[in-house]
Amino acid sequence: MVAKKDFRRLTAFLWEAPATARPGMRVPARIYADDRLLEAAMDDRSLEQLVNTATLPGIVKYALAMPDIHQGYGFPIGGVVATRLPSGVISPGGVGYDINCGVRLLTTRLHEEELRPHLERLMGALFHDVPSGVGRGHAQALSQKEMDQVLERGAEWAVSHGYGSREDLEHTEERGSMQGGDAGAVSERAKTRAKDELGTLGSGNHFLEIDVVDRVFDPEVAQRFGLEEGTVVVWIHSGSRALGHQVCTDYVRELQAAGQRYGIQLPDRELACAPLDSPEGKRYFAAMACAANYAWANRQMMTHLARQAFERVLAGQVRDWHLTLLYDVAHNIAKIEEHTVDGERLRLCVHRKGATRAFGPGHPAVPDRYRDLGQPVLIPGSMGSASYVLVGTETAMQETFGSTCHGAGRVKSRHAAKRGVSGQALRQKMEREGIVVRTESLGDLAEEAPEAYKDVDRVVEVVHQAGLARKVARTRPIGVMKG
Amino acid sequence: MPHTADVAIEAWGRDLPELFVHAAQGMLSLAVTVEPGATVTASREVSLEAPDWEALLVDWLNELLALQDEHGETYVAFDVSLSAPGQLRAHLQATQAYRLNVAIKAATFHNLAIRHDERGYRTVVVFDV
Repeated sequence: MVAKKDFRRLTAFLWEAPATARPGMRVPARIYADDRLLEAAMDDRSLEQLVNTATLPGIVKYALAMPDIHQGYGFPIGGVVATRLPSGVISPGGVGYDINCGVRLLTTRLHEEELRPHLERLMGALFHDVPSGVGRGHAQALSQKEMDQVLERGAEWAVSHGYGSREDLEHTEERGSMQGGDAGAVSERAKTRAKDELGTLGSGNHFLEIDVVDRVFDPEVAQRFGLEEGTVVVWIHSGSRALGHQVCTDYVRELQAAGQRYGIQLPDRELACAPLDSPEGKRYFAAMACAANYAWANRQMMTHLARQAFERVLAGQVRDWHLTLLYDVAHNIAKIEEHTVDGERLRLCVHRKGATRAFGPGHPAVPDRYRDLGQPVLIPGSMGSASYVLVGTETAMQETFGSTCHGAGRVKSRHAAKRGVSGQALRQKMEREGIVVRTESLGDLAEEAPEAYKDVDRVVEVVHQAGLARKVARTRPIGVMKG
Repeated sequence: MPHTADVAIEAWGRDLPELFVHAAQGMLSLAVTVEPGATVTASREVSLEAPDWEALLVDWLNELLALQDEHGETYVAFDVSLSAPGQLRAHLQATQAYRLNVAIKAATFHNLAIRHDERGYRTVVVFDV
């Protein structure tokens, strides 16, 4: 077991357990946290899971944890692991079952007071138009050929069919279309399960939210991002639906068998992995890229549906109802990236499981419009609480392979959250605060109660103070739609 | 069982087939609520093979999740037979009269071990939900 005493404080917000803390570790384990968040991480098994990831073959520098770390299954949620090409490993568990679960933020020029009279109707229209909820998220079924195109082309497929603009793609990580996808690497079962789920929100912690920018920390960057105090924005948080779940299920099994063939010893079978240059590792990467593309197409389709709902309800009622995509980030993904490690330029596979890419100024992967500033970093809070927009930094490039936190991070199990608060009471509380709530299930609402999560303000403050991303603006919800 | 991010179930059985049935019932009781008086609308045959019992258990639970999703039904009766090494054959009875509570993404291998003592078999399975 790992204990707090294994972690030595390096700076105000950075702790490290040396590679000697436990047998099998190849590199030290690091966590970014203040005292309270570190204590919180000690309450569950997340640090033990972090230390386990330090045993993965080919891991470079450190196994990293962000301040929103919490217990997962295998890898912790809020973890970053970079492995070196060609023979370092890739692990489906380091990405998770909801491949490319991610978030996008759309900005408007609408002010809160202009929208308020129409908010109930708008939330009703969004709830009607964007399928959501457990087992209810059905859309028109894709043909086999269409499915293969979605898997290999992602959001670009959606845009080429009229669901959005080229500018949307410019403002999506990987331009919404990850290279290296091969639909042949995705099982028929995965394709069948997801054929009628494109453009659906799903359930669990996924949401569509209308927020208002309530604080601006960096006026210059905020202005360039199109964020003005008092204006309305839309958050969409969703992933690759059953397609990603099935891809991960298939490959955890396949890579367990492969790992044995390559003589890889692991402390937990859920860490199953294979060398990046092995046929099995390459095949998983090709399938994962497809699932990531499905998720980007999914969020793009929902963006289109949201735009239609905005137009139907607001055209002729307000001066400008248009939704502009600020950015879209993945927070469950593995990417091939170049990073400087000890003065050497290396090609790495960066696993971000519940972590967000946060590239600094000047990086070629940052869209032209923002390149001199750094990548927009989107950190959704828990349902009903504030969310943040940050900007990537050079410090993150040097310390965390260009990564930062992804959200608030759970502190209570879904069951405990349900016991602590009723869905009805939560709905009433949010409605008293002027938040319009639309959900299929009040039980689901309670599972996502803000009390079940770490304080997003505290998590964001740590990454801001540690320099892993810089605060730009904060938003607060006025309309919440939960799956 | 308490687990911050996800849901875990503890299952036991006097023998391995019973453990597999109980684990399936435990998982599905989280995922769905069967309507009172639900009638059987279909039956399914499942045949699986895995290198060890733990992998077979995970495969079995994930097979049920996928079948449920594909056919829009859930399972109310299970006849499971196991044979070494790591082979399962099952006959399932399905119903379409149910409500989904939680979308379980998958059964995981996290810290998974099937333990055997004088009373039978016992295990904890962690799910990603």
